Amino acid sequence: MKLFGWQWLAVSSMMAGALAAAAEKRPQYGGTLHVATRVALASLDPADITQPDSFARRSVAMLMFDTLVTMDENGRVQPVLATSWSPLNQGGNQRWQFHIRRGVRFHDGTPLSAEIAAASLRAANPAWNVSVDGESVVIERGGFESEFLAELALPRNAIVKRNADGATSGTGPFHVADWQAGKKLTLAADENCWRGRPFLDTVEIEMGKSFREQMTALEVGRADLVEVAPEQAHSISRAGRRVASSAPVELLALVFDRDAASPEEKLLREALAWSVERRSIRSVLLQGAGEPAASILPNGMSGYGFVFPADADLPRARQAREQVHATPTWTLGYDANDPLDRLLAERIALNAKDAGLTLQPTPSASADVRLVRIPLASPDPWVALADVAAPAGAPAGKTGASIEELYAAELAVLATQRVIPLFHLPVSYAASAALRDWALRPDGSWTLADAWLESGKP
Amino acid sequence: MGGAVYNAAIPNLIPSSVNRDFRPARVLRVTAKFSCVLLGLSLTAGATDWSGPEQQLARKIVAVTGPGAVAVTIENRSSLGKRDSEVIENGLRSALAGLGVRFARPETTASPAGSAVKISLSENATSYVWVAEIRQGAAELVVAMVSAARPDGATAAARESVPLSLRKTLLWSQDEPMLDVAVLEENTGPTRIAVLDPEKVSLYRLQAGAWRLEQTLSIVHARPWPRDLRGRVVLAKDHLLDVYLPGILCRSAAGTPLTLTCRESDDPWPLVPAGLSGSGYSAFPASSSVGSTSTTIPPVGAFYAAGRNFFTGALTPGIGSFTSVRKFYSAAFLPHDKSALWLFATTDGRVHLVDGVSDQAARLDWGSDVTSVRTACGAGWQVLATTSAEGSDDSVRAYEFPDRDPVAVSAAIDLAGAVTALWTEAKGDTAIAVVRNREMGSYEAFRLAVACSQ
Repeated sequence: MKLFGWQWLAVSSMMAGALAAAAEKRPQYGGTLHVATRVALASLDPADITQPDSFARRSVAMLMFDTLVTMDENGRVQPVLATSWSPLNQGGNQRWQFHIRRGVRFHDGTPLSAEIAAASLRAANPAWNVSVDGESVVIERGGFESEFLAELALPRNAIVKRNADGATSGTGPFHVADWQAGKKLTLAADENCWRGRPFLDTVEIEMGKSFREQMTALEVGRADLVEVAPEQAHSISRAGRRVASSAPVELLALVFDRDAASPEEKLLREALAWSVERRSIRSVLLQGAGEPAASILPNGMSGYGFVFPADADLPRARQAREQVHATPTWTLGYDANDPLDRLLAERIALNAKDAGLTLQPTPSASADVRLVRIPLASPDPWVALADVAAPAGAPAGKTGASIEELYAAELAVLATQRVIPLFHLPVSYAASAALRDWALRPDGSWTLADAWLESGKP
Repeated sequence: MGGAVYNAAIPNLIPSSVNRDFRPARVLRVTAKFSCVLLGLSLTAGATDWSGPEQQLARKIVAVTGPGAVAVTIENRSSLGKRDSEVIENGLRSALAGLGVRFARPETTASPAGSAVKISLSENATSYVWVAEIRQGAAELVVAMVSAARPDGATAAARESVPLSLRKTLLWSQDEPMLDVAVLEENTGPTRIAVLDPEKVSLYRLQAGAWRLEQTLSIVHARPWPRDLRGRVVLAKDHLLDVYLPGILCRSAAGTPLTLTCRESDDPWPLVPAGLSGSGYSAFPASSSVGSTSTTIPPVGAFYAAGRNFFTGALTPGIGSFTSVRKFYSAAFLPHDKSALWLFATTDGRVHLVDGVSDQAARLDWGSDVTSVRTACGAGWQVLATTSAEGSDDSVRAYEFPDRDPVAVSAAIDLAGAVTALWTEAKGDTAIAVVRNREMGSYEAFRLAVACSQ
């Protein structure tokens, strides 16, 4: 019997809990938690579409804001700021009514209302038709129930009160005490949080720190929670650090900047997909982290990921390549700030060369094909698939309720050959010995709502 | 409180305080002698009907292969157990046979025209996913799949088989958070209980062997509850019960119909059960079956921090010259002659021993929750304290204090999760432990009793 993604996530989450279990005590109030991230956020508005999605952004957003609903570790939708919801017309399930929780206040003291919630959702989703009906919000939108609710649970759909001066206010456990865009965010406990004041007094988040800088900060006691590169998680854990990893929730893939212009180019892209030796790359460069992938969705999310063969097939790659007379030189872009990405790009170029293809690795932002890391947006496979398909320029596919429709939709996205999946990676974090009861969400972000520091003084 | 982990070990536990009464051989003898029956939860998944998805997948396969010879292999890639996967495999084969499929050996389908089907029993977050990869000669691979809902409550069993000197009896279990349980009436066992959760008190009565909801009493509170919410149901003398919650005191009506009135309050929470403080209560007469001592403990109360999860340390009427101690999570007491030794599990991770004259701090291998019970064995009083090792479930153990050092007088009784509450019951001879089950996520309330005959 194999242990699959979701179970593995549960194990990982339990491990996180277990790691925190030196805490023999009830949670203590007080203390300042220091966190470091690679991402340097320019804005704290979760609906700001100019900011790329990242696990850190999701984590930070959910410290300050709440969504109407959330998804638990079993993939079930749970109420947050909406106490209940129901479809208004049974036929197409196009209109949904959400009853807003009473007694909740934003950090600036304003009571949560259906009007503010509706305005927030409109700002985040201009295509949605959002209206107010008494103390409830009515949303008119296509899609099926599970997919829609999963989308509402995304941090970008958090309920935000936006003031005329551009300031934002939320209902989450912490409010902003100080914000230096791109550098440092200081959050303070909301004493009147509707879910109870958090145990921590303050959370300080240092941004724009490399993995190395973060680990150094952890080792010298200047950080309590840091990000760990997937390929380093194992060695850091063996060194005695408390490391927790999620299920594979990040897709490492090659993404072409445009559709294939001809049948010949399609054959070349097929050759490239068959040429990459994912398993040896995983063993050497990724130090055993992640899972080789030929599907967009991890097996733990879809249940059928194993159907897509991830093994390299050089004869097949050469066969495809040999059907094309003239082969272009493709530039392969990678993140210059990530040393691993450069190594990966070089290795992929070598594999491609064996198949008769020419890839030119470049840190330049413009390239024919880019090596990218895509944080899967949601544990819901439909939402995750649509989120990958859209920026890649691929069709989202027909949404539906059955597993076969999901499979068909994923096949359709892959058939565009805009995306060549390579690996599904976990996200890993290392924590100080003092940090207790922090947890990983199913989407790979962390939550500190119930976290506490052993050294905190109540 | 979700995710909170309590009661792991503190170094320095009583290395010299395990007395001779607690040598392994002695324990084994005691163990064999008493054979305490420990309640085990044996939640076995009932037989699940897989016939729907079996038929569905079989039809999809036959739609591709048609009837005739097909080589079928089935692999379990999910968390399904061996028994379930075998049941499903048989069901799938029966369904395929019913649609005209004859099972061939894989090598007989190696010819270009042969059909081979590899069925994988997989899963995702919400359901089982059964995938059939169908190959027909040189034709392109065809994939068919169905999903099958996970059966509710199909979870592992938790068992206890090692009898100890502490006995636990499951009183109540529910998925929702549970703060406390009080036994209101009992014969040979509880027949009426009150279950406290963050928003209500539910009264249940045992009728015809099943617990039936008798009444629900809402708890009205204007302010949000703090995290790691704690609460306590205390039986009253002239009415049924009082409910203590952070910043809120609820009192049931004296007559009928039974109602619950809640108000904002900083009244102290009672630390001494009514049955031990001489204040009396209506549900049970003073027990004569336990404890040889007739010591009456002054009804000490403690003020609870409304927005937190601990007591402020202020006491009323006080212990000797001490009207306040450090902030603490829980307290226990042990009568000594004409006084009592009080133990406070303080928020700094220590246990403070207060005898009315001195306050001595000790670093023990205890958790945040301690309480005391009066029994008919040993010194007549024991402290129950939570403990746990890193990464494991909490346990509770009984201690005595011949001097100032605790002596373990029972083996630890394991609980399948984190102890979120530990209070002495009204009569004083048993305690209620509320546990959040680590695997199931549900809350379970146990009655803990010391089995003490030698």
